Amino acid sequence: MSEAVETQVQEEEIDLTGANEVIDKYIDMPGSLMPVLQGIQEFYGYIPEPTVHLTAERLNIYTSQIYGVLTFYSQFHMKPRGKYIIRVCMGTACHVKGAVRIGDTIENRLGIGHAETTEDLKFTVEHVACIGACGMAPVIMVNEGTYGSLTVQKTDEVIDKYKNMD
Amino acid sequence: MVNLTIDGKQITVPKTATIYEAAKDNGIHIPVLCYAKKLLPYGACRICLVEVEQMKGRLIPSCTTPVTEGMVVTTTSEEIVKVRKTVLEFLLVNHVVECPVCDKAGECDLQDLTYEYEVVTNRFKGEKFDLPTDEVNPLIERNMNRCVLCGKCVRVCDEVVGYGSYSFINRGFETKIATAFDRGLNCEFCGQCVSMCPVGALLPRPFKFKARPWQLKEVDTVCGYCGNGCTVTLGLLDKKIETIRFNDKIGVNDGNLCVRGRFGYSYVNSEDRLTKPLVRKNDQLVEVEWDEALQAVADGFVKAQEGKGVGVLSGARLTNEELFLLKNLAKTIGTGSLDHSGGECYKGVTEGLFETLGVKASTATFPQIENSDVVLAIRNDFYDTHPVVGMVINQAIRRNNAQLLVVADKRGKLSKLPRAKTLLSGPGLELDVLNGLSQIMLEEGLAKTDGVEGVKPLKQALADFTPDKVAARTGVDADALRDAARQLAGAERAAIMLAYGLPYTALSKELAVAAANLALLAGIPGREGSGIYLCGEKANSQGAIDLGILPAADGLGAQAMLDAAASGKLDALYVVGEDPVVSYPDRDRIEKALDQVPFLVVQDIFLSSTAAKADVVLPAASFAEKEGTFTNAERRIQRVRAGVPSPGEAKTDGAIFSMLDAKLGGSLAFTGPAAIFAEIGKDTPAYAEINFNEIGPQGVVWGGETLQPAARKLGEVTAAPLVEGEYRLVTGSALHHSGTTSTHAKGPLAVVPEAFVELSRDDAATLGIKEGDLVKVKGNGVELKLKAKVDIRMPNGVLFAPYHFKESGVNRMYKGETVIPVTISK
Ligand code: SF4
Ligand code: SF4
Ligand code: SF4
Ligand code: FES
Ligand code: FES
Repeated sequence: MSEAVETQVQEEEIDLTGANEVIDKYIDMPGSLMPVLQGIQEFYGYIPEPTVHLTAERLNIYTSQIYGVLTFYSQFHMKPRGKYIIRVCMGTACHVKGAVRIGDTIENRLGIGHAETTEDLKFTVEHVACIGACGMAPVIMVNEGTYGSLTVQKTDEVIDKYKNMD
Repeated sequence: MVNLTIDGKQITVPKTATIYEAAKDNGIHIPVLCYAKKLLPYGACRICLVEVEQMKGRLIPSCTTPVTEGMVVTTTSEEIVKVRKTVLEFLLVNHVVECPVCDKAGECDLQDLTYEYEVVTNRFKGEKFDLPTDEVNPLIERNMNRCVLCGKCVRVCDEVVGYGSYSFINRGFETKIATAFDRGLNCEFCGQCVSMCPVGALLPRPFKFKARPWQLKEVDTVCGYCGNGCTVTLGLLDKKIETIRFNDKIGVNDGNLCVRGRFGYSYVNSEDRLTKPLVRKNDQLVEVEWDEALQAVADGFVKAQEGKGVGVLSGARLTNEELFLLKNLAKTIGTGSLDHSGGECYKGVTEGLFETLGVKASTATFPQIENSDVVLAIRNDFYDTHPVVGMVINQAIRRNNAQLLVVADKRGKLSKLPRAKTLLSGPGLELDVLNGLSQIMLEEGLAKTDGVEGVKPLKQALADFTPDKVAARTGVDADALRDAARQLAGAERAAIMLAYGLPYTALSKELAVAAANLALLAGIPGREGSGIYLCGEKANSQGAIDLGILPAADGLGAQAMLDAAASGKLDALYVVGEDPVVSYPDRDRIEKALDQVPFLVVQDIFLSSTAAKADVVLPAASFAEKEGTFTNAERRIQRVRAGVPSPGEAKTDGAIFSMLDAKLGGSLAFTGPAAIFAEIGKDTPAYAEINFNEIGPQGVVWGGETLQPAARKLGEVTAAPLVEGEYRLVTGSALHHSGTTSTHAKGPLAVVPEAFVELSRDDAATLGIKEGDLVKVKGNGVELKLKAKVDIRMPNGVLFAPYHFKESGVNRMYKGETVIPVTISK
């Protein structure tokens, strides 16, 4: 059986007021698709599927075309994201210094791997390419904070810190 | 014209040509993958690179580069071959090569090019695609492991179809073609993407493992469904239709088809086809020999004709030649009561046009629509009844910046096309909107009234149709009306599109008159490049009108025949190629007529609901089993060709008419279509000039590309009735179906298996109805149970249910009115 079967329309119930307001703001602007999608993501934290259909209808753009844009740019997320985004660097320097182990540690602690989000919507993990801090490899970022020269133990501590926060 | 040299050959081509086109037209082969004649230049695959002396230093994509004067082009050199090989090597890195089990093998561009350039090894190594195939949709096999990312499917679905199923998604190696949210395909299933795909990534699923392409025999004929008259090329193996082949070389449709034409052929192969005549004995229909059946029919008709008479009711999918024989058979029977489905529905449309323009046909041809500046379509259903003309409208918009105006009571496909303006009225009020547009043209002095009769009375009659009054009645914004009228009046080339068919019986004459009035005021009829188009529902609706399959002066029309039958005033009915029980408005009335009439003969390819009531059933042939001609909605007479034999003892309608005529002592000899066609000319002068054997691949348009109207007489103004009600139902056609025949075809049925009732999202929310719920719709004293379809195209309070289907019985409720007040509940 194909993937397509499993992903057949799962209706998500959401309040579209926010999305409608964003669209109202840009609807008459040429090239409104990007700002609309960005606005929707800002409002909901991600791009819920019903907002894609709404955008397609109201801007009269093919849903497929919007989906193409959403998958092309990494800035867009189609699933809800955690409050804390953990970016695990998998760049060359970090890789050499054991980034994989760091990733495994996080996966063991939170039960989520790359591009996954915990059920309580607290954490999202993303494996990324070099984040420009090779000097302190291996590195992770949690939202805006950078944590370098990590060991398994240090990683645990970072996670504990955020687990204890709201 | 531009002169240039390609491979040392001096050639002259139009200045709009690309290098590729110039080469191709002069027999010089340049390989292409992402190029397609019907699509805009794209230039993505780089296989078509050539050298141009004036542009030294790099290779030039021939498919996107226009020719210039004095250009010197080389299409093959060592370097070019090397680059083409590299392109192929790259494509083959990830491509899953599985030619032995790929239905495209033998006509696959990638396979052919790999062979042509002898790409035996590959310098590059990489991962093979490992993508799931689309097993969800019923008709199109999508295997993206074979995709070469040429983008043709994406482009055709946008540029031609205007549906937009596909998009490139992701980036880099992950790039692929997908639908929104990467789900199974769920679309119009016109199959245009399949015909464009150069490889085996998109294939017709019903054809899977049926035959190798080179085993197929091809027969070009005309689609048996609608009045569009698309050329369909039957792909035959062992005298069976296995697929419809892509053919953009001949016909009016440029290789485009709709789901019915592409996937609706399977009814021809159906196990349920009638194969032997049936005669009712002891209340059972039992198989008999032809002679017995014909004798029974002849005896029955003779007896009936001695009594209260025989009525003959035909469909509009018979060939012209067959219709001619039927007309003469009616004379042999001795009855003037002859009519076709038109008598029930679109007689009014042709009458309306005749009173105003003096013609009963479209005044221009389909190719002219593509160059229109303004296209006005009456009802969004126009796309559903005539999808391939709809695609021409889409191309007029995209290529010629045409402005589309849609006068409709619900939104639909046409409304979604770029820049389309929909004048959305309350249900069934299109007539008022058309009148409103005429009023504005006259009022603002925009109307072209030279040589037009009846301007003054029209002006007076339209006093009630000022923009404000129309706006108040119909809900269409007064300024939107004004803009539309001005655009139509100002257009150099304009088209007005009106489709008709059995679910559109109400106010048909009035609507045609209003459309003709508007066309006259806009100066459309007879003007080069402009036209008013009257598009019949069935493949030969226009032929039936041209040949006058209508009651004689002393005869009864369809309605009157049915009424007479119901009240015991008709002794026999002969129904040919139509299933009135399902397709005519008011099923109860039809059933009563058929039950009452003492002797009922039905000639069809299936044991339809109508045939099940018959005393004698005669098994007929489908379009794919006939020789003759159809006349499409733009007056194009085209050759219908037999590809397969009829099942069992079924015979063509023409052969049956001849045999019956002989039994009745008539003199109709069935001498073959060419001879009959020549006879038609004697009755129908427009056909007299045309020689059957000279009808070429593009057909012959009677009356010429632009038909001059015989009159320019503005007609009477009427208003549509305002029907009140919280919920109001309109009926019509569904895209995937045409008449009742398609409900015997697997392809269309796989997508739309049953009737439904469409309602707006707000209404659905108010009523607590979800997509797919079974709901009760009550109106006209009838209750229907239909599946709900929730769609934003429906205005609040308006419901739509398509006819076509026996089981759903929409025509039990629909009795021929514009709008039915109903209640709806779960
Ligand atoms: S079948 Fe027609 S509508 Fe569907 S994706 Fe292909 S081209 Fe588009
Ligand atoms: S599916 Fe076919 S037509 Fe579409 S991009 Fe791939 S190869 Fe081209
Ligand atoms: S049904 Fe009509 S539009 Fe569709 S393929 Fe046949 S003739 Fe063309
Ligand atoms: S490789 Fe990790 S920060 Fe550069
Ligand atoms: S055919 Fe010219 S670039 Fe693809």
